[in-house]
Amino acid sequence: MSPFIDGIMAILEPTVMLCIGAGVIIGMLVGMFPGITATMAVALASSFTMTLEPVQGLAVLLTIYVAANFGDRIPSILINTPGTPASIATTFDGYPMAKNGQAGLALIVSALVSAIGIIASMVLFSTASVPLAQLALKFGPSEMFAVVILAMTIMISISSKSIAKGLLAGVIGLFIATIGRDPITGDARFTFGIRDLNSGLDFIAVIIGLFGIAELLDQLLTHRPHEVKPISALGRWWPTKDEYKRIAKPTGIAALVGLVVGIIPGAGGDIAGLLGWDRAKAASKTKASFGKGNIEGIAAADTASSATLGGSLTTTMALGIPGDSVMAVMIGSMIVWGIQPGPSLFVNQPSLVVTITALMVLATMITLAINLVRMPMMVKLLDMPVHYIWTTVLVFCLVGTYATTNNMFTVSIMLIFGVIGLVLKRCGIPASPIVLGLILGPLAESNLRRSLLIDGPAGLVNKPISATLLTLACIAIVVALSAPILARRRARQAKAPL
Amino acid sequence: MNSPFIKTIAAVSIISLVAAGAAFAQDAFPSKDITFVVQAAAGGASDRTSRAIAAEIEKDLGVSVIVENRPGASGTVAFAHVAEQPADGYTIGFGPVEFAIAEHIGYDFDRSDYTYLGQVMNSPVVLAVAANSPYSNLAEFIEAAKTKELSVSNSGAASAFAATAFTLAKMTGAQITPVPFDGGAPAVAAALGNHVDAVTAGAGETATAFADGTLKVLAIFADEAHPRFPGVQTAAEQGFDLQFGAWGGIYGPAGIPDDVRAILEESIRKAAASDAFLEAVTPAGILPQYKSGADWEAFVAAESARYDEVLN
Repeated sequence: MSPFIDGIMAILEPTVMLCIGAGVIIGMLVGMFPGITATMAVALASSFTMTLEPVQGLAVLLTIYVAANFGDRIPSILINTPGTPASIATTFDGYPMAKNGQAGLALIVSALVSAIGIIASMVLFSTASVPLAQLALKFGPSEMFAVVILAMTIMISISSKSIAKGLLAGVIGLFIATIGRDPITGDARFTFGIRDLNSGLDFIAVIIGLFGIAELLDQLLTHRPHEVKPISALGRWWPTKDEYKRIAKPTGIAALVGLVVGIIPGAGGDIAGLLGWDRAKAASKTKASFGKGNIEGIAAADTASSATLGGSLTTTMALGIPGDSVMAVMIGSMIVWGIQPGPSLFVNQPSLVVTITALMVLATMITLAINLVRMPMMVKLLDMPVHYIWTTVLVFCLVGTYATTNNMFTVSIMLIFGVIGLVLKRCGIPASPIVLGLILGPLAESNLRRSLLIDGPAGLVNKPISATLLTLACIAIVVALSAPILARRRARQAKAPL
Repeated sequence: MNSPFIKTIAAVSIISLVAAGAAFAQDAFPSKDITFVVQAAAGGASDRTSRAIAAEIEKDLGVSVIVENRPGASGTVAFAHVAEQPADGYTIGFGPVEFAIAEHIGYDFDRSDYTYLGQVMNSPVVLAVAANSPYSNLAEFIEAAKTKELSVSNSGAASAFAATAFTLAKMTGAQITPVPFDGGAPAVAAALGNHVDAVTAGAGETATAFADGTLKVLAIFADEAHPRFPGVQTAAEQGFDLQFGAWGGIYGPAGIPDDVRAILEESIRKAAASDAFLEAVTPAGILPQYKSGADWEAFVAAESARYDEVLN
């Protein structure tokens, strides 16, 4: 029989279906719970799946991976709290949409484009893994530095209200990213003798604090109740024909961005989501409403970050190098099952590659179906009085953050950043550039310094990939900064004849 | 038969059984759940080793062993937490190579705050290059590094892997630049992509690429050959007497009473020798390696002296 039929037959067994079912439930719950990551779920599940057959075990683990990616978007849209860094860009337009009474529409669009992103990346995985993996190896420290610098230019475009305030926030983010140990020498920086600060500020705690807790405090402390807009109306669910047309272009652009970023080792769903959102904004006719509840924005963010899943799987399977932290755990399990990831896997066990692809696609379809059908019921919870909702959110954030490290220190960090987030919000300083700085800062610094250690300053400009990307970054900065000036001049010229 | 007598006998026997159980609980260890603190997040080599050992201790001692991940600050968050727990044997933890390193890189950590219960594993450091690299053994690599500077990636600053590269350079006078990455996988990727000249990493990160032929392993820094790297010589066999490994053992707070300590040590010894443990860790390139508590304590002291020299 052909490897294709063998691969498909392998998953058409009742036990495998049962495993997929279990994976979907675990993954969705884990994804929705802010703070609990797919990595944690897969790591804990892998101790139980060890004794299963490889295909059954892969069914559980891959499905958790897929379903958590869907679940992740839900708290971003409904309560402005990204469950993991991968859904930061989802909050940009998802939460404003929810506030504008379009929560239902945002959830459905997010689920649809996440499925498109994953399936597009799986097509690439199943057809071109080996050459793509070779491309991935071309990204060394200097190339990574250039990618990160390009991503950093987004700071300008996400601070649409005031570039100065946005950049100030970005610099705050870059500064707090230096807290902890120096990535190259290992010396302590800004730790003030506090042991827990040695590993730096926990991403997830800072993100939940700045987004979720700050939003909660803002609503609780607003003394003008008529101005508070709880998400009471979910609005309609399904996009109109016109809206489908509108999201087609951003979805396409973002899928490309996600596929490319997914292949690059060390760059994941967070960077892809941000870049995808930014590129879609640049190409959109409705730039001005990005970040204020534009359906194109959420489509772009979620397509791009979901499209990295196949990329991670590609580097994992074709090189034996884990593409992200979930895959690092998966490799451990695969070796126990006697699956040897690497280029020869695609030659020796083509049916396994088909099985993995089929599992990912099937898990995506099932999760999508559940999302589309069950979402209205699940979201009924939001009909509760607003104080119950926020109480529940707070409890979930506390438990979720505690679970990341089993340490109250992490919870304190979340609460402190909640207060900081509230103050910044009241001053009109956006939170997203802070998170951007916090995530990208360490990547930029460590890769720049690695690159300098290896080749000296010349290494940054004499390699084609990094030189090109750095040039693009320069162009992006010039364009972004000059756009408002040009717009003002045009406006003045238009007025001149009067 | 349902007479009051039978009922009385039944009641008495039940009460005496319960009393016996209570008496047993008072003096015998263990009578309640044991907490096993892991200094790393779920999913890595430390977590894998710890969960495998915990499962075996659970079978052996008949109480639950609850694994708790407390990552942060090179593991010292977990070490400090364990040191503060009562020394009754109900809190133990996984002690990695950072036990010998932490005090030398500015952490508030004192090796004498702990009871050493036994080493269980070792993951030897290997030096590897991409398949298309011009070097095929350690001597060639060192010879080349004497005429031009060679970069060697590793999983992070102040790790056993970085220390191997530093020490190798110091020992031979070769010009080796250790380049720390954020974890073993990106360090290996940098070598595969020829961004660095070589990588020092654990067997877990290199074994898959080695088996596939995309990575050449030049030397293993261990006493003996590694089953995952057939045909690869140790550094000592190639004339460079140097051993480095990411080892690990089980520890508790200082002052665990001798009788409890003996029970735990024996249980850990059995766990480390069990087939289940072997099956759980070897696929990740980890070698089971047992040392008794006292031997391991002496070994940690010797390692610490060595790292003091390398890192300062």
